[in-house]
Amino acid sequence: MAHWFHRNPLKATAPVSFNFYGVAGSPAANKICNDLRTTRARLLEMFTDVTCNPEIMKSATDAYLSLLQGFISSLDGTTQENKMRFIQNFKWTDTLQGNTPSAQQDAVFELVSMAFNVAIWYTKFASRLAGKENITEDEAKEVHRSLKVAAGIFKNLKEIHIPRLITPAEKGRDLDPRVIDAYIIQCQAEAQEVTIARAIELKHNATLIAALSFETANFYQKADHTLNTLEPECSSKWRKYFQLKQHFYMAYAYCYNGQTLLASDKCGEAIRSLQEAEKCYSRAEALCKEYRQTKGPGTTAKPSEQLFFLKLGGVIKNTLEKCQRENGFIYFHKVPAEAPQLELKASYGLAEPVAFELPPLSEQCTAEVYATFDLTKGPKNDKAKPKEEEVRPVKEPDLKPQKDTGCVIS
Amino acid sequence: PSIPEGLPGATSTNKDGVLVDEFGLPQIPAS
Repeated sequence: MAHWFHRNPLKATAPVSFNFYGVAGSPAANKICNDLRTTRARLLEMFTDVTCNPEIMKSATDAYLSLLQGFISSLDGTTQENKMRFIQNFKWTDTLQGNTPSAQQDAVFELVSMAFNVAIWYTKFASRLAGKENITEDEAKEVHRSLKVAAGIFKNLKEIHIPRLITPAEKGRDLDPRVIDAYIIQCQAEAQEVTIARAIELKHNATLIAALSFETANFYQKADHTLNTLEPECSSKWRKYFQLKQHFYMAYAYCYNGQTLLASDKCGEAIRSLQEAEKCYSRAEALCKEYRQTKGPGTTAKPSEQLFFLKLGGVIKNTLEKCQRENGFIYFHKVPAEAPQLELKASYGLAEPVAFELPPLSEQCTAEVYATFDLTKGPKNDKAKPKEEEVRPVKEPDLKPQKDTGCVIS
Repeated sequence: PSIPEGLPGATSTNKDGVLVDEFGLPQIPAS
């Protein structure tokens, strides 16, 4: 089953040369600066390289962040701040704020922003793979894992690194806790979507599928509520996505809850549950249209015309017809006026973020080399300082979703 | 420690001690 996920754009950044003339006072110190420049440029290239996979991404990320930590960690055995932490200005755009960058002269800001983009890359990689027509079991595992890795990165940044920043995040920027929370929940919910598809394929019982769908719908609702205090211009489209997925998975939950009720001979209640599924499905369909018409950052798509969406409509219709047939022949139950209460707690399939850890400090960054960086030898006047580079928007590969025909070549 | 069986990460047990796959679904489909 092909999946469809909304994606916001990658963050863009200005190139950084790490040319600290005079300050880097030894060949080893100069080598660190050169390697910082090249590993950073390579990592930035990887974000838009369609051939990049998680293994390449991890090695490119480790190469840069292991060196960058040489400007953050304490290297002289004291509790004092690393003297290089505030030497360089870094500019980054935010995923919801167009091309207006934020800037901070702080290596921790660079670490957080770069790692944030790595997490976004994992979500985009997962989305590309999950959108394929006939996704294999191994690919589904890779999608599931990539989303949990991304969630783990976002969570680690929020809990450990963002609190270290001296300048707090502005409203609606990526490091705003509401934005980062929405990303964490989105990753978990999407990973669970993959699990739901697998549970259906492997014919797990309807109760398990209903419970996981219900929890997933609740995740989407939570993500939507997390963003309700942000400016609508930047968050509306993303929120429409959360809302349509919430209703879509509520439809799933009522549909499979109906199957459970039918299996325990509660045919009237089963019919009511399926009628509710139809209602949620129609609402999701309307939200798909609203999503498409809403302006804002991110991908455009016609989710209601894709197979994953149409398929559920068919399942609901067929199950409801089956229930109505059986009620007419066997049960003769009265259909209750009230929809059944879903109090389903998922025991299986909830996606937990994969714990993220920074790579160890590069072996190049020793106390001896650190001592050869001398801030007093930097350029004395502003004219000698290198010109600040501009932030150019990221040209993301044009990845149109493949049309899912539902045909299988066997 | 005992010798691990099978591939790492392929299966594990959840908090109730039930054997689950990489997706956290029970190993043996319930129906």
